[in-house]
Amino acid sequence: MTISQQSGGGVQKAPQGGLAEVLDLILDKGLVIDAFVKVSLVGIELITIDARIVVASVDTYLKFAEATNRLDLHQKGGKDLGEFMGGLTEGATEGGAKGKTKGVLDAGKEKWDEVRGERQQSKREKA
Amino acid sequence: MTTTEDSTKSRSTTRGSYIYGIVPAGMRIPDGLEPIPHGDEDGELGLVTEGELAAVVSDVSADRPLGTRRDLMAHEAVLNAIAQEVPVLPMRFGAVVTDDDAVADELLKPHQDYFLRALDQLRGHLEFRLRGDYNQDVILTRIVESDPRIQQLREKIAGVSEDASYYDRIQLGESISKAMDQLRQEDAQATVDALSKFAVATEVKEAGGENGAVHLAFLVKTDGRDDFEQAVDDLGNAWAGRVELRLIGPTAAFDFLPEFEAPPEAQA
Repeated sequence: MTISQQSGGGVQKAPQGGLAEVLDLILDKGLVIDAFVKVSLVGIELITIDARIVVASVDTYLKFAEATNRLDLHQKGGKDLGEFMGGLTEGATEGGAKGKTKGVLDAGKEKWDEVRGERQQSKREKA
Repeated sequence: MTTTEDSTKSRSTTRGSYIYGIVPAGMRIPDGLEPIPHGDEDGELGLVTEGELAAVVSDVSADRPLGTRRDLMAHEAVLNAIAQEVPVLPMRFGAVVTDDDAVADELLKPHQDYFLRALDQLRGHLEFRLRGDYNQDVILTRIVESDPRIQQLREKIAGVSEDASYYDRIQLGESISKAMDQLRQEDAQATVDALSKFAVATEVKEAGGENGAVHLAFLVKTDGRDDFEQAVDDLGNAWAGRVELRLIGPTAAFDFLPEFEAPPEAQA
C-alpha cells in the first residue's frame, strides 16, 4: 500500500503515511460537513475511537527508565523500546507490518492528547 | 486486515452519499482507487458536479458504523491520489449526506464562493508532512552522558529489583522525558530554520510517540518541490544516525485549508 523509497539523503519518502498518520490527518483535519450541510446530514456512527490506545505517562517514564537501564546491553542485541512497546500492545491495533510499532506509539500519543482534553472525537448524533 | 465483514454482509437499507473532498469541475478521478466499502455491491467513486465545482463521492450504507482501517485508508488514499493532480479540499472523515442532490444543492451551491476561493489559493501548491524519529540508543546515550544527575539515578537503579526501584525509575524516566522534550523543541526549530524558506507555509505539530523527534507540515509550491525535497535530504544527511526522517506526500492540504466562516444563521 505504501511504496517507500530510500533516497540518497537517507530520508524515507512515501506518498501516503501509515494508519496513525492517516488518523492524525483525516480525523482532526479537513472540512467538517456539519458546518456546511444542515438538512440532509446523515449521522453515521464513527468507531475510530476504539482504534486508539492509551499510553499513560507513568508507563512511558518506566519504559524510558527500562530502556536507559538497558543501554549498556544493547550491543548484545537486547530488545529496544520499540519492540517492547510493540509486544505490549500487540493486537490492540490493526497495522501494517513495518509501520506497526510506530503506528501504535503515534496512536497512543494521539489518544493521550485526547485524554488531556485536546479533542474528543466520539459518536456523532443523528442529525 | 481485521475489518469486520458482518456489517457489510447485512443488507443495507439506507444509503447515503459519502463525500471525500471538493475539486474543480471536470477533473478525472484517477483509475484504480478503492472507495469505502459499500455492502455487497461494488461501490464506485463518482463526481457530483455543480457549476465550476465537483465533489468526489461514493455510496455508503448509513447503518454501518464507519472507521475500519480500510475505511480510513480509503478516504486518505482517494484524496491523496487526487491531490497529485488537482487542488482538493479534503473533508474530515465521516461526511455523509442523504444523496447526490444534497451534495450539489446543500454543499456545493450555497458555499461555492468559499470553495472556489479556497481551491484557487491551493492551486499550484502541495502539502508535505515531515516526521522524524529519534534513534533511541543514540539519543539516550547522549542524554545520560550530558546529565550527571541522570547518570547517578541510573547507577542507583542498576541491580535493584523493580519494586524497590519503582520511584527511582519513574524519576529517571521523567528526567529523560524532559530532556527529550527539550531536544524536540530544538530540533523542531532547526527544521523550521532549514526548510521553511522552501515552503510558503510551515506548521510545527506535536511529534507523537516516545521516539518522535519532529513533526511538521509544509505547503510547498509545485515548482519549488525539488528544492524543498533536496533541503529535506540535506537535513536527513545532517541528522543521519540520530534522527530518521520520513517525508509523506504530497497529501491533500489538510493543514492549510483557507478559513471558512460559517454564515450567522448556521451557528446553531
